[in-house]
Amino acid sequence: MSLRTPLGRVLNHGAARSGVVSHWIVERVTGLALAPLSIWLLVQLLALPASDYASVTTWIAAGWNPVWLTLTVLLAAWHSWQGVQVVVEDYVHGFAAKTLLLLLSAFAHALVAASGVYAILHVAFRSTT
Amino acid sequence: MAEFRLPANSRIDTRAGKHYPAPAGAKQVRVFRVYRFDPAAGGRPRVDSYALDMEQCGPMVLDALLKIKNEVDATLSLRRSCREGICGSCAMNINGVNTLACTRSCAELGSGDIRIYPLPHQPVLKDLVTDLSDFYAQYAAVKPWLKTRTPPPPDRERLQAKDDQLKIDRPSACILCACCSTSCPSYWWNSERYLGPAALLAAYRWIIDSRDEATGERLDMVEDAFRLYRCHTIMNCAEACPKDLNPARAIGHIKQMLAERQH
Ligand code: SF4
Ligand code: SF4
Ligand code: FES
Repeated sequence: MSLRTPLGRVLNHGAARSGVVSHWIVERVTGLALAPLSIWLLVQLLALPASDYASVTTWIAAGWNPVWLTLTVLLAAWHSWQGVQVVVEDYVHGFAAKTLLLLLSAFAHALVAASGVYAILHVAFRSTT
Repeated sequence: MAEFRLPANSRIDTRAGKHYPAPAGAKQVRVFRVYRFDPAAGGRPRVDSYALDMEQCGPMVLDALLKIKNEVDATLSLRRSCREGICGSCAMNINGVNTLACTRSCAELGSGDIRIYPLPHQPVLKDLVTDLSDFYAQYAAVKPWLKTRTPPPPDRERLQAKDDQLKIDRPSACILCACCSTSCPSYWWNSERYLGPAALLAAYRWIIDSRDEATGERLDMVEDAFRLYRCHTIMNCAEACPKDLNPARAIGHIKQMLAERQH
């Protein structure tokens, strides 16, 4: 049993400060931006005449669609990365396990974002040439 | 890791509970199922049930508990002092809700058995008495007193505009009963690092005090992923507060102030 006082334990290493306010703001700003984008995506997908390969890729490459899609993928990945970080911090307490999970989550989200963007650009540029 | 299963010592031994029958001739019987744990005796906690004659008992849950302690089973331990909702010592979990035993009337709780447990997720010292040392340390950590550099006027108290007084009027009504913090899931999982709604409400009360000159320092102190930002606006705190205060809203205001001073 530690004989440290409760106040000593609560004050611990002080407030970390670094980045916490911007984390909170990023969560909200990405959420705000994702609201219209996801509604747009849903409406567009439902309005597709057919869901075969040709009509979906044509839609992906049409007009500004690649731009909106890239934004959606990047913002969704960013938003989810921030959210998963909060969940990990809530429930995982050991420093090693927490660091490992946070790293895994960062890499996984980066991978998802990069693959998504690559796929969109691939489809978009292939159909314009 | 967050614990999803209670430690062995906290799991109720369902066979060990004792039953105390109502006195002969009782007409209006009500059963109180009360959590019992005595670390000195060892073993797991149990739930004892006490049948009382409500015609012979005061209207509040605390009246029933004191009747049990005085007339049925003197070994029951609980905290209470003012019996009028101002000292905050009789906070406990009644029918699944954290509240004050002295201001919760039995009639309000329908007609079934009344289940009484200690405040959740705190170490139990005995029966309904929990160890609130960390909770009080968190309150002390926010330095809940006026901090100034300007000396007070020589001939009078520090003045405050009426509007400014109104801002701290409600948050000052907190009685530190701990109903809010111990109902907050974020506090359950991270009570060593998250300050909890009660301490944050106290921090807020001093952050917005127009006479205080340490506002920046106070904001620095809570600018931390754990101390403040573990609050996910679940609102259990506002739901639980027996004084009708809203720590969740205060926490929201603190986050807003921290965001505003960035730009
Ligand atoms: S609003 Fe915040 S402080 Fe209140 S119960 Fe929810 S997480 Fe806890
Ligand atoms: S805010 Fe309400 S529930 Fe929380 S400690 Fe104060 S009086 Fe009790
Ligand atoms: S006894 Fe004081 S608040 Fe209940």
